[in-house]
Amino acid sequence: MAREYDHLFKLLIIGDSGVGKSSLLLRFSDNTFSGTYITTIGVDFKIRTVDINGEKVKLQIWDTAGQERFRTITSTYYRGTHGVIVVYDVSSGDSFANVKRWLHEIDQNCDVVNRILVGNKDDDPDRKVVLTQDARRFADQMGIQLFETSAKENINVEEMFLAITSLVLRSKKDQQQRIQQQANDTVKLGKGSSSKKKKCC
Amino acid sequence: MESSRDNHIKLQMRERESDYTNLQPYRIFCGTWNVNGQQASEAINEWLCPAEDSEPPDIYAIGFQELDLSKNAYIFSESVREEDWYKRIKEALHPKAKYKKVVKLVRLVGMMLVVFIRKGLELEIYDVMSGTVGTGIMGVMGNKGGVAVRFGLRDSTLCFVNSHLAAHTVEFERPHTDFKDINSRMLFGNRTISDHELVPCFFFFFSSENSLLFCSIVIWLGDLNYRLSDIDNDACKKLISDGRLQELMKYDQLVRQISQKNVFLDYLEGKISFIPTYKYDPGTDTWDTSEKCRTPAWCDRILWRGSNVGQLCYRSHMACKLSDHKPVSSIFESGIKVIDRAKQRQVYEDVMKQLDKWENEFLPQVEVSTMEIKFKDIKFIEQKKEILVVSNTGQVPVQFEFIPKPSDTNFCEPWLSVEPSKAVISVGAKCEVHLSVYVNKDTGPSLNSGKARIEDILVLHLDGGKDLFITVSGNYIPSSFSSSIETLVRMFKPVTDVETGSLIEIVSASTSLQHLILTIDQASSPNPSEDPPLDIPKEIWRLVDHLYKYGMEQDELFRQPGLHSEIQLIRDCLDQGKPRLLPGSVHSVAEALLLFLEVLPEPVVPYEHYDLCLHVCDNFTQAKQVLQRLPTSHRNVFKYICAFLRELLKHSASNFLDARFLGELHLNGHQSSRTAHQTRADHRSSLLCDAF
Repeated sequence: MAREYDHLFKLLIIGDSGVGKSSLLLRFSDNTFSGTYITTIGVDFKIRTVDINGEKVKLQIWDTAGQERFRTITSTYYRGTHGVIVVYDVSSGDSFANVKRWLHEIDQNCDVVNRILVGNKDDDPDRKVVLTQDARRFADQMGIQLFETSAKENINVEEMFLAITSLVLRSKKDQQQRIQQQANDTVKLGKGSSSKKKKCC
Repeated sequence: MESSRDNHIKLQMRERESDYTNLQPYRIFCGTWNVNGQQASEAINEWLCPAEDSEPPDIYAIGFQELDLSKNAYIFSESVREEDWYKRIKEALHPKAKYKKVVKLVRLVGMMLVVFIRKGLELEIYDVMSGTVGTGIMGVMGNKGGVAVRFGLRDSTLCFVNSHLAAHTVEFERPHTDFKDINSRMLFGNRTISDHELVPCFFFFFSSENSLLFCSIVIWLGDLNYRLSDIDNDACKKLISDGRLQELMKYDQLVRQISQKNVFLDYLEGKISFIPTYKYDPGTDTWDTSEKCRTPAWCDRILWRGSNVGQLCYRSHMACKLSDHKPVSSIFESGIKVIDRAKQRQVYEDVMKQLDKWENEFLPQVEVSTMEIKFKDIKFIEQKKEILVVSNTGQVPVQFEFIPKPSDTNFCEPWLSVEPSKAVISVGAKCEVHLSVYVNKDTGPSLNSGKARIEDILVLHLDGGKDLFITVSGNYIPSSFSSSIETLVRMFKPVTDVETGSLIEIVSASTSLQHLILTIDQASSPNPSEDPPLDIPKEIWRLVDHLYKYGMEQDELFRQPGLHSEIQLIRDCLDQGKPRLLPGSVHSVAEALLLFLEVLPEPVVPYEHYDLCLHVCDNFTQAKQVLQRLPTSHRNVFKYICAFLRELLKHSASNFLDARFLGELHLNGHQSSRTAHQTRADHRSSLLCDAF
């Protein structure tokens, strides 16, 4: 009997207030966009099941309040997260400048986690102030994948979420492989030492 | 839950099958012939490839009954006849196409089924299985029963059943039971392509996936042995010779039974326009002339089940005269499903999305009347209330709870209380959450000094859902109550007239001064440029002065409680400096005095001197020395209060107070937490009172 899903991952969306975190989530989970801005006061999540190479991956995606005054509270929601989506607004230099702080926040609250950098609101060239090349240079420097998206125009949103999911899935598989490898090594080691013992006797 | 989601996906995919499935037409030839144990001595092209069939079929499914009536066939499951007939079939297949076998053949005693597919299409078939069911002697022997072949073709599953059902004109119940047996017992277990030696017994496979029900198209052919009843031989033959076949059909047992829904449910049969195929004198087209002189019957039939099946023809072949039966054939054009994988994936994703959407919609949802609760003008020991309305706007009942923030143990600040802090709200219902702020002596000092503010964030957690952050804020009006003596003696104006900024200055100055006084001794003012501090806080003076003027003769003074509302007015009066006369009864003023002393952040006798005081309380001289060590303002207050108490005692005739009671009161004022020391402290206090 097939199970409802093969993997369950928790993703977290962080970034300055007003960069479009909730919009990205709404676009991905419900394929809707609302032009009216409602600031998130709290943390909310949505689920979506995606298929990655034939494997059913259920995502629980948490959307957090970006406001400074909630920072200490929201930090608790990093626990148990598999992947973090750091969002800035390509039309706001400040939000991009704050990305470093958000990455720091991740380091403070998570052990090892997959990250992805997202420049949202990439739908109006006239208002774009964070240039792609600058963002890319920064992302390369930090060793993170960069996606420029528009929740409004539905550009790159699906791709971005699938990319972070793939990253998380690959990490999980790598880890499983490592554990398997370690187990194999241990067995070999065990055999080796026991034969050595015999020799001693 | 998991499997229900899974089932839902399956159901949805099936319902939307046409969205991603194309139908490709396949021509299927089906034939059935009871050869009555005859040898394969004649060609059978007339049956399998009559002249009118110009287009070659894609699939051939050919069934024989009574292929071999010899005892060997029963006992050894082998037959010399099958090879001969197999050769004859191969010779007779349509010449315009080449064919490959799907299974060489599957045989149970006299029943044999052969399936061919057009060359090139064999790559499209998979999962070929065959099965046999015996319903003959003992209910299992293979003289009667069925054989079947099933396989997947593109995205459809095809099944051909060849059966020879039990016969008897009077006992037409029998074929039904046989049908039911075959239907329920025909489970395909063997994946046989070469191995046709299937044991004549039923399979012990009960995986429903493999049963007949799960085939998209089933074609059932064979000698079903249904006869004509309620009509005599002559009448029957007359109707036949008159060509009134439809009239004769009314007597057909199978037609009757199907219309009564007794058998072959969901199966269809085409219109029969050929004369009965049974029973002839072998080698002729003459009706049976033997002793039994059987009434003619349509024993040999072809039925089907499944969608997208169209019958092109249904006929008998009179040219084949070997047997006492004539062979029957039918050509179908059936739509074989071909799934468009890309479209299928799209539909699958749609179905998943819809399910996810539902799941999201079923997450608990609430709306709150406000995300920010503001309390206006909070005063010391005066409760302020606000209401937060939580409405369940989702589709499921909601359980909410206020949960502590990280590194906190309580979910809110001590000056705030929330009721209820946890509740269940049914769909569409609302819950009123009552929030109240109450500043008492524990929370007052830091709020008065400006170190703390009325600010908090409540985390409203929905069980299994999101969290909302409710911000609580308010302005606190500082009060002389719960302010320190050191601060108050440096405050020359009423508290409310002092700017918040300078208030904090005064507080910090007083604390640093206090520190200086304590360490350097209290000789002179450390900052001569400043106004010298007051001897005692003006608020204490006003309270005591009021009592001195209006309460000395009052019976039950300090014994009778004051009114809370009056105490609040007295507080305002002290903090605002007006009106000149304190409001309320003397009892309220007396209680206000006690309260004022009780809520001092640092008691009149500071905490650090407690132990020493208790130690020396029996010794008057030592006690006086200790008193000298108190900070000036505290010592002044102490002396002032004691002087007032002495005055009170002078009037004990009218106010009925005694020294012990006043001592207790006085001490309770600022030492209530240290009850263990109560008795000795009493004693000390009385002593000190006496001293003054």
